[in-house]
Amino acid sequence: MSDKSERLAELRAKHGRPPAAPHEPKHDAPTAREAQPRFRGLESGHRACQGCGEALAARLVMECAGPDVMVANATGCLEVFTTAWPQSAWRVPWMHSLFENAPAIASGMEAAMKAKGKNTKVLAFGGDGATYDIGFQALSGMLERYHNILYVCYDNEAYMNTGIQRSSSTPHSATTTTSPAGKERMGKRHLKKDLLSIIAAHHIPYAAAASVAYPQDLQRKVRYAMGIEGPTFLVIHSPCPLGWKHDSAATIEVARRAVECGLFPLVELERGAVTNVMPIRDARPVTDYLELQGRFAHLFNGEDPRAQEERDHLQALADHNIQTFGLNGEGDDPLDTSGIAAVGRGGPVTGRG
Amino acid sequence: MAILTRGAYAEPGTTLDFKTGNWRSTGKPVHDHVKAPCHAACPAGEDQQAWFAHLQAGHPKLAWRELVQANPLPGVTGRVCPHPCETACNRAAMDGALAIHNVERWLGDKAVAKGWAYPVDAPADDAPIVAIIGAGPGGLSAAYHCLRNGLRADLYEALPEAGGLLRSAIPRTRLPREALDGELNRLLALPGITLNARTRLGRDVTVEGLLSTHAAVILAPGCQSAKAWDVDGAVPADLHEGLHLLKEFMDHGQFPKADKVVVHGGGNTAIDLCRLMKRAGASEVTLVTASGLPGPDTAPDDIINVVPRELDEALEEGIEIIDHATVSRLVMKGSKVTGVEVVSLKKEPGKDGRKRRVAFEGTERLLSVDMVVPCIGEAVDPEGLQGLIDGTYVWAKDAWGRLEPENVHVLGDARGDRGTVAEAIGDGRLAAQAIAAKLAGAPDPEADTRLEMGASGLNLSYYMPTPRHAPAKVPVAERRFDTEIEGDLGRAAALAEANRCLSCGNCLACDNCWTFCPDNAVIKTVELAQDGSHYLFDLDYCKGCGLCAHECPTGYIQMVPED
Ligand SMILES: Cc1cc2nc3c(=O)[nH]c(=O)nc-3n(C[C@H](O)[C@H](O)[C@H](O)COP(=O)(O)OP(=O)(O)OC[C@H]3O[C@@H](n4cnc5c(N)ncnc54)[C@H](O)[C@@H]3O)c2cc1C
Ligand SMILES: Cc1ncc(C[n+]2csc(CCOP(=O)(O)OP(=O)(O)O)c2C)c(N)n1
Ligand code: SF4
Ligand code: SF4
Ligand code: SF4
Repeated sequence: MSDKSERLAELRAKHGRPPAAPHEPKHDAPTAREAQPRFRGLESGHRACQGCGEALAARLVMECAGPDVMVANATGCLEVFTTAWPQSAWRVPWMHSLFENAPAIASGMEAAMKAKGKNTKVLAFGGDGATYDIGFQALSGMLERYHNILYVCYDNEAYMNTGIQRSSSTPHSATTTTSPAGKERMGKRHLKKDLLSIIAAHHIPYAAAASVAYPQDLQRKVRYAMGIEGPTFLVIHSPCPLGWKHDSAATIEVARRAVECGLFPLVELERGAVTNVMPIRDARPVTDYLELQGRFAHLFNGEDPRAQEERDHLQALADHNIQTFGLNGEGDDPLDTSGIAAVGRGGPVTGRG
Repeated sequence: MAILTRGAYAEPGTTLDFKTGNWRSTGKPVHDHVKAPCHAACPAGEDQQAWFAHLQAGHPKLAWRELVQANPLPGVTGRVCPHPCETACNRAAMDGALAIHNVERWLGDKAVAKGWAYPVDAPADDAPIVAIIGAGPGGLSAAYHCLRNGLRADLYEALPEAGGLLRSAIPRTRLPREALDGELNRLLALPGITLNARTRLGRDVTVEGLLSTHAAVILAPGCQSAKAWDVDGAVPADLHEGLHLLKEFMDHGQFPKADKVVVHGGGNTAIDLCRLMKRAGASEVTLVTASGLPGPDTAPDDIINVVPRELDEALEEGIEIIDHATVSRLVMKGSKVTGVEVVSLKKEPGKDGRKRRVAFEGTERLLSVDMVVPCIGEAVDPEGLQGLIDGTYVWAKDAWGRLEPENVHVLGDARGDRGTVAEAIGDGRLAAQAIAAKLAGAPDPEADTRLEMGASGLNLSYYMPTPRHAPAKVPVAERRFDTEIEGDLGRAAALAEANRCLSCGNCLACDNCWTFCPDNAVIKTVELAQDGSHYLFDLDYCKGCGLCAHECPTGYIQMVPED
């Protein structure tokens, strides 16, 4: 015991602040940071890359999910960049175990809360590698056993933390270290897995897709899921400047165009049925989205006849989404891609009387 | 050997001890309040973005007070200004420029109706007095800005009433008397302004005399004398010059009888005259102008110099316009004109690089007429201006309107390089500021050298597409001589129109930067922010990704190199 606490004190003295126990009253007036009118579930000082979409997505989720939550986090960028020992960027109980078992850990946490008679909501976080691939069976089990958990997948469309390997979420024709574009292939040969349909097939109360480009919509979906007793699932499109090879300033622009071209449809499903979609006011060509990213640079090689074909293929996939989900809408809508993004003096326009 | 603990935990939020701010490699975000293009384009110096911001917050009175810091006559300019602000508006490319002039007029009228007080204090009893010749818009603006700068103003006006061309020439269908008087009377009633009507420079007072009794003299006489006009020496015996005709009509409500009229020139006088003569009964009115009509192929400096709306309305009313042309010959019967020959011309660059007009042989055509009216501009009346006037105009030495001798300034139309009400108003402000600075022993006020926010600096994704609001207009068939043609925009549309303002270059308090920063490095605080927005950058944690700058709709955030 004393060994442990001494060692802790030593490490904290070296790297961190002395812990302020909750019973020690704080006398200073709150700093501007402390006085922010939102819950700071995920603090500054984390080690995400410049412009990281995943860091932003997680902060947005925590802001409206917290403070009465606890998190199980799979291995991946989010886990690594928020918890450089002995520091943590989290302000809620947060637990990490392995790459493949966050849903199982979360299931246990939820069972423990139930046993203790507490209402604290359990969240489980994972990247697309953790969710679409390696943690998939644990996730399926968690949903099937009907745990009261919100699972959030931060979809940056590859295994980023280990250096940009393809996942089953990587879009068709994107280049990664394990699906390199070259003579043999135009990047990834296979298609992005339609995970949401598989999740929805579990007949859970709520499964939805969101994007960091539309924070109001994202947070509405989090709040809605938080209000549901039972398993819920959210996948958030989270651009990665490093892996997608775009300017760190362009993270939101890239995410916005993914939605506006139809490649990442923002849909909501309840009990397996589509109950809502975010209509696209003016659909733009997929090339507007692709051209911002180095991972699709080979699609703009004028010398290569395959480039045009792949661009057309991606356009066809986007058109298919638009048609399947009816993303064209019926005229202007305050909740479509243009309406929901609109701001005015004093903040977003959506939701104003 | 260090023993690593198992089952240990970290305290919440302790990454705050790790300052990621030193990761910044290329630049840091700063707030930069640059000029909105409307403001940069406004000759009167209004900051439209600033007053739209008050309207967006629902405060018309604050909006008006902000506006009249530069322009005391919004009810006038809202009606007659060619609004270069709207031409410059960044929203033009999106879904139509803001209807700035309509909102400006609505605010001006509202202030008169509600009796809102001008934001000026009565000057001290012993405050220096500036003498101002001419009580047109330029002279009135100068007087107002003298008060704003702690000076008093004596206006000397040759005519019985103030207003200049606003009263004597601009038709009431564009500027009704009530609107003009509403604003002018309030302005003239401000303590510290004295109007000496029926007092003419040269006849009743002199520049030297005024200099001996006043701290400075401002010349704002406008251009009142017709320039000489003939075609190869031919002049009809019953020649009526355009501005003269118009002024007569304003006084007596009648034109000499004519059925087919050719007006030669191009400008507001020409267009106003064409329209009034047509309404008064002429069956055919044709304008022959050397300039071009607006269009994709017309260079901006070649477009006919009239208020765009007035040109549209003139065409709507059936005025024929022959552009890029001039009158090359008069067909006379005795001393009376019966026809004019018109020839096409264009401005072509000459050997010295300057453009000159070239008439194209073989394009002549004859129009039969019973009256031809020149509207080719006016010159300054030289009376009392000996030694100051250079040919046609009184050219100023600088932007402040300085002349030799010291303490004499010129402004407005008399300068020769002006021609609109807004320019005259802007000149009045600058002259008063320069005089006040000089009297206080201070250097000239500093020019605003801030950059201008172009459309490419904005992020248009965040603006709700909304078409421009337009006021009702009197239909062509019902247009006469007194009723104003363009209607009032109305409160609801004025406020809705204000909400279309993109707030170019200035913070909207939209929260985007606060919402989107992946590093929580934007702090929202009303108390601590000092640069006009409610946000601070916490450079201890900002990694310099540039995302906030990209997602700022207004371009208020710029990335700059580290110091
Ligand atoms: C028909 C017409 C339509 C126009 N339409 C527009 C329009 O739509 N928009 C626009 O922006 N501009 C328009 N203009 C131009 C605009 O009216 C002038 O640019 C503006 O009035 C110039 O203001 P000012 O104060 O310099 O001169 P003025 O308005 O000419 O005022 C000069 C004043 O000085 C007085 N004065 C002159 N000499 C003396 C003297 N010796 N002693 C004492 N007082 C003297 C005059 O009586 C007059 O009151 C129009 C002009 C005309 C003629
Ligand atoms: C069983 C197992 N295999 C491999 C790894 C190595 N590993 C750590 S993180 C990671 C990739 C994580 O990718 P993803 O889930 O997409 O999250 P991201 O880093 O992209 O946010 C891998 C392969 C591991 N930790 N455990
Ligand atoms: S690699 Fe990508 S996901 Fe990971 S921290 Fe960097 S930007 Fe974020
Ligand atoms: S978004 Fe945040 S980290 Fe990025 S430049 Fe702006 S303040 Fe800095
Ligand atoms: S993003 Fe919005 S709140 Fe932030 S500086 Fe720009 S206008 Fe202001």
